[in-house]
Amino acid sequence: MIMKTDEQDSNPSFVLRAIKDVAFEDRDVPKLRDEHDVRVHIAQTGICGSDVHYWQRGRIGDFILNSPIVLGHESSGTVVEVGSAVKNVKVGQRVAVEPGVPCRFCDYCRSGQYNLCNDTIFAATPPWDGTLSKYYVVASDYTYPIPDHMNMEEGALVEPVAVAVQITKVADLRANQTVVVFGCGPIGVLCQAVAKAYGASRVIGVDVVQSRLDFASSFGADDVFLPPKPESGVDPIEHAETVAALLKEKFNLGEGPDIVLECTGAEPCIQAGVFVTKKGGTYVQAGMGKEVVAFPITTACIRALNIKGSIRYTTGCYPAAVDLVASGKIDVKRLITNRFKFEEAEQAFELVKAGKQDVFKVVIEGVQ
Amino acid sequence: MAEKNPSFVLEKAGSVYYEDRPVPELKSPYDVLINVKFTGICGSDVHYWVDGAIGSFVVKQPMVLGHESSGIVHSVGSSVTSLKPGDRVAMEPGVPCRRCVRCKEGKYNLCAHMAFAATPPYDGTLAKYYSLPEDFCYKLPEHLSLEEGALVEPLSVGVHIVKQAAVRPGDSVIVFGAGPVGLLCCAVAKAFGASKIVTVDINEERMAFAQKYAATHAFRSQRESAADSGARLIRDCDLGLGADVIIDASGAEICIQTAIHALRVGGTYVQGGMGKNEITFPIMAMCTKELNVKGSFRYSSGDYQLAVDLLASGRISVKELITGKVSFKEAEKAFTDVKAGKGIKMLIEGVED
Repeated sequence: MIMKTDEQDSNPSFVLRAIKDVAFEDRDVPKLRDEHDVRVHIAQTGICGSDVHYWQRGRIGDFILNSPIVLGHESSGTVVEVGSAVKNVKVGQRVAVEPGVPCRFCDYCRSGQYNLCNDTIFAATPPWDGTLSKYYVVASDYTYPIPDHMNMEEGALVEPVAVAVQITKVADLRANQTVVVFGCGPIGVLCQAVAKAYGASRVIGVDVVQSRLDFASSFGADDVFLPPKPESGVDPIEHAETVAALLKEKFNLGEGPDIVLECTGAEPCIQAGVFVTKKGGTYVQAGMGKEVVAFPITTACIRALNIKGSIRYTTGCYPAAVDLVASGKIDVKRLITNRFKFEEAEQAFELVKAGKQDVFKVVIEGVQ
Repeated sequence: MAEKNPSFVLEKAGSVYYEDRPVPELKSPYDVLINVKFTGICGSDVHYWVDGAIGSFVVKQPMVLGHESSGIVHSVGSSVTSLKPGDRVAMEPGVPCRRCVRCKEGKYNLCAHMAFAATPPYDGTLAKYYSLPEDFCYKLPEHLSLEEGALVEPLSVGVHIVKQAAVRPGDSVIVFGAGPVGLLCCAVAKAFGASKIVTVDINEERMAFAQKYAATHAFRSQRESAADSGARLIRDCDLGLGADVIIDASGAEICIQTAIHALRVGGTYVQGGMGKNEITFPIMAMCTKELNVKGSFRYSSGDYQLAVDLLASGRISVKELITGKVSFKEAEKAFTDVKAGKGIKMLIEGVED
């Protein structure tokens, strides 16, 4: 079944043709690949650091831009066409889109870790097209209906909330635990909010930008911390230990927080994060920065820390994220600072790249 | 293909016949077509043959029997990369939907849309050819026979049960029931490092076999209360404060009750055996001893490969469980023998070329 479309319907798309080279292209309306697919008319798309990174550097790790790709992966939209076997959504339904569909056949997929599938088709990760088009085709079980009272911007923000849900899942956060989150960018503040929603007794946000700390205070964090700058000539590791000690003292964290979520990727934060975690506690690396850092490994060893990585999301994260937003526990609308029309997509990317302090989450409206 | 697919079909309770059916077509480029070589018979197969139903699964139309099989790959779909014609494989007979929450969280054995061979309405493997997706076929190393390949299925059931029980090296384990699944649970528990494995059965012969096979102790049941039986088990087998893990592979009410009394506080109980739907259960003992009580159903991710690896490395042997082999034409005789409780595992050979 298909919603009526104009015979001359096309698929305007925002394409990354090569490093730093973006353009609008009219592509063909995508077809359903099998009876489980749906076609979504994209309504809103948020911009993520990874989108900007591919635009500016053309690669993240082993994912290298070798041919043009449509950008964008944090989207919401309306279902306009469904395959014959689709049961979970109907034409006309408003959905949040999970942008990475795994192969379903490999050992990772079969063991419940589909975020690790080598053959995942992930929107806007080369060589796969993203969601900054009028239409996007995706497997129906990777679309999640959003209730009527959630708007499409909130629907698009479900993606970073799902990232935060996965991070707390990896951390195995339990009620009444104490949590320190390094980074008060979108992921950091969402981790703080999810941790509170999931029963953490104390959530402390850390950042070097005061305005971000101010926002975090008003969002999910119980307390915030601006670490002192290192004095000249001080060994960075010593400084990290100082920061950790200050954190513990200032916020009465005793031997340290149960859980540390590292959402910056910055080496000084990684080091401070390891030093501050209590013995037997859990440290989760979510932020991405330098690929190789100086890591306090002996501390990790003798304090018997659980150190884990977190990437994207797994089963249950999207439904949990929709519920956190729909129930009002997390007000994602407050993260949006700038809005652009589809035709202004390049300006939106330039704004995110400029990295101004007052720019937080930028969203791009879909093609009307 | 002009060839036909001779099949062993259950028409309804008590009535089986042979039929030439069409050779299965590969429904997906990831599917393979297998020439089935050996099929073991399970209690569930016999149950369908005798009753025409197990619980809500009712045989409403003729159904090919069999699900414990091994075979040789005949042909492969266009997207198959890990198998080629001629490869010898153990066949995992249940294909899940891959799209539901259970599948995506790694518990595909609990998929609501599972298509399981010889569970109505899906046909089983007692035919010349059977098709499966590539990832549900497991290559057998050269030194494992196709007969052993047919035992991978019940071995995987044992693997799944022991994984549910989370047996750790040094654990003491009791297994109620010394039928094929009970025996294989003992073998897997041993491979997982259990230091003490107690086999319990009412059949002396089966227990003696179990002790030679994988168990370290045998326990003879007597007419006594479950609580007394549990206490005696602990005493007779030097289980200290009680067993760490107990697996039921019998389905018998008295065994289940005894198990709860034979576990140490904080121990783990896994229900693998199938018997009465409802029983009288010592729930207060379970509560106050803070036991972990779990079910176990078929097998899921990693179990089949682990089973093959345990056989390939020689840590588990299944040859001694194969007590009979019949030709495809004599399949009904095998069912009769299994129903009569003869031997341990009977195999039915594949259709002759």
